[in-house]
Amino acid sequence: MSSGASHHTSQHPKQVALQSLDPRVNRLGIPSELSDFAPKPLQDEWEPYEVFWRERPGEQPVHVGTVRAPDPEMALVFAKENYCRRGQTYSLWVVRTADIHTFHPAEIDIFETAPGKMYREPDAYKVVQKILRLKRGRQHDQEAKSTS
Amino acid sequence: MRPGSGIVPAVKDLLYRMADDALILGHRHSEWTGLGPVLEEDIAFSSIAQDKIGHAYALYQLLHELGEPEPDRIAFFRDAPQFRCCHLVEYPNGGYDFSLMRHFLYDVAEQCRYHLLESSRYEPLAQLARKVRGEIKYHVFHATQWVLHLGARGTEESHQRMQQALEQVFPLALGIFEPTEYDDLLAAASIFPGERPLQDRWLETIVPLIEQATLRLPALEAVVPAYGGRCGIHTEYLQPLLDEMGEVIRSEPEAEW
Amino acid sequence: MYGNLSLVEPLNGVEQENPEKLAEFEERISRGEKIEPTDWMPREYRRQVLRLVEQHAHSEIIGALPEGTWITRAPGFKRKLALMAKVQDEVGHAQLLYSAAETLGKPREFMINDLLSGKAKYSNVFNYPALTWADTAIIAWLVDAGAIINQTLNSKGSYGPYTRALERICKEEAFHLKYGYDNVVTLASGTKRQRQMLQEALNRWWKPIMHFFGPPDAVSVHSEKLMRWKVKMASNDEMRQMFLDAYVPRIWELGLNIPDPNLRKDPETGKWEYSDPDWDEFWRVINGNGPCNRERLAVRRMADELGAWVRRALLKPERQYVAPLF
Ligand SMILES: [Fe+2]
Ligand SMILES: [Fe+2]
Repeated sequence: MSSGASHHTSQHPKQVALQSLDPRVNRLGIPSELSDFAPKPLQDEWEPYEVFWRERPGEQPVHVGTVRAPDPEMALVFAKENYCRRGQTYSLWVVRTADIHTFHPAEIDIFETAPGKMYREPDAYKVVQKILRLKRGRQHDQEAKSTS
Repeated sequence: MRPGSGIVPAVKDLLYRMADDALILGHRHSEWTGLGPVLEEDIAFSSIAQDKIGHAYALYQLLHELGEPEPDRIAFFRDAPQFRCCHLVEYPNGGYDFSLMRHFLYDVAEQCRYHLLESSRYEPLAQLARKVRGEIKYHVFHATQWVLHLGARGTEESHQRMQQALEQVFPLALGIFEPTEYDDLLAAASIFPGERPLQDRWLETIVPLIEQATLRLPALEAVVPAYGGRCGIHTEYLQPLLDEMGEVIRSEPEAEW
Repeated sequence: MYGNLSLVEPLNGVEQENPEKLAEFEERISRGEKIEPTDWMPREYRRQVLRLVEQHAHSEIIGALPEGTWITRAPGFKRKLALMAKVQDEVGHAQLLYSAAETLGKPREFMINDLLSGKAKYSNVFNYPALTWADTAIIAWLVDAGAIINQTLNSKGSYGPYTRALERICKEEAFHLKYGYDNVVTLASGTKRQRQMLQEALNRWWKPIMHFFGPPDAVSVHSEKLMRWKVKMASNDEMRQMFLDAYVPRIWELGLNIPDPNLRKDPETGKWEYSDPDWDEFWRVINGNGPCNRERLAVRRMADELGAWVRRALLKPERQYVAPLF
């Protein structure tokens, strides 16, 4: 039979282990002297993916946040519990942040629409007066007809 | 299932085996909460741990309906000989390789088991099987992705670790399917087809996945399955786990906590 | 200092900013607009918000440890599941906050390096041990209550990604608070031993909780600017008063004794008075000499080390660093 999971990674077997109130921590066999610490390189925690979530059919998917993941499959594995562990979910999308295209921040004024394009607004069209005039005109015609 | 029929002890035994497995494995998984390899995975694995403990609770609730004590009583006050879990779930976590491989082999078996139970003649269990389908689907997706990634898409180091973990865990995992004296009875009553057919389904499912992960499954005839758990014979790890789990609640057994 | 900038660092170099841009920036904030990562912002705003959000993120991940102490011993299914879910949420808060902080230009890896090397600060309160089960009840109720006061204020702040993260976080905190309160009330109405256990835990945690919002305003670095920029949303004393106002009556209502004979509300000023909670200890702990500073660091390093092979296995070092959008 297997000898089980006895392969703790503590590389300091001779040192006294740190004594914790947490039995889980005691099982990790952490050396009581602080181990050396090698700084993480960039990408150590993988790269960001953006997460889009839709609560129920008929609704817009919305951007809810991001996860670090090595690839799209793992991003989905993570996003599911990071963003959908409560409430309802209908769909979930992930996309690598680096694959999202946008305008350069310096070009943000591209969205400043010049004023005066009222022809695209419903308010630009006032028909009530026109209809009144139209009705008055028709009445006038009828009166003219009947008197002739 | 007619009450009073001879099937009740068989059903209880099945429920105890399933519930004890889920409780102890969920408990082991929860030891990673806050200590996982990366924040995102910490959260994902913690959900799986919670789901397992939730499944255990639901199964103990069914046992309670069959006349057994309350779930908290059953879970927190029994000692090792009264437990019916397999050895697989009892082992300490060790590294993440061991934890992931155990999670993978266990959850595929769990998925196969609940799938069979969806058509069980014991309606409460069939209902539960349908209720947990989605959660277990996620557990299997999570486990499979990890095994594939670390086996086939990782480094030499991760491949080796996963291979070693597979060799350690495989005999333990076979212990899930330890035959019991009730297997025939449960099958005859169309409650559960039995551990043997379950093991066959499980093997059919894991073999291609392990191959895809470029890992080698030990030959079935070359390993000794870790039996004993289903009749109350456990590893040295279970009793200390139970002592720890019950430390607070047992300190004041009649109190509300 | 659960991300409340209780220790304000003096601002410098603001006078070197382009006065027009600075005026426009401040105008936007006073109109209630949010500042987004790609917007122009004073260098000091970036530095202070980063420091705030980063410390908040560290506090969440370290904050998972004291309560985690009791994960394997929680009494009964309800508590076991709730504690797991609560600690999980705290890890999730760290995940959200690191992302929000990253939008200001510091990669998550570098933030974690600063935590693991001991350079970064996090909330002092997590450098105290959870000796008994009752300690977890007090933490979940009162430490989270303090955090909620702070986070609710901060969620009205000016930096968009931080306020969005906090909105999500505050919803989860509501569960933490209710869970903690329920836990405390259960112990308070339980057996003699349970009540005693709870009282002792409260005695242990009162001082760290009084420290939680940071040193008194009278001895703190003030920053009108950070208030105007909606980075710091209330003074340390203001938050402490809010906390006392809301929770002292509830603690007393349960028949618990708060270990401060001088604690009382002045009927004239409406302000709470209390004994000096030993600010020397606050400084000792923040400088690394609290009861658990070393353990917290050692455990985080070990967790990172245990997971290193997993992260390394799927590393793509050729990728260019990109900050999340959030
Ligand atoms: Fe939190
Ligand atoms: Fe919280």
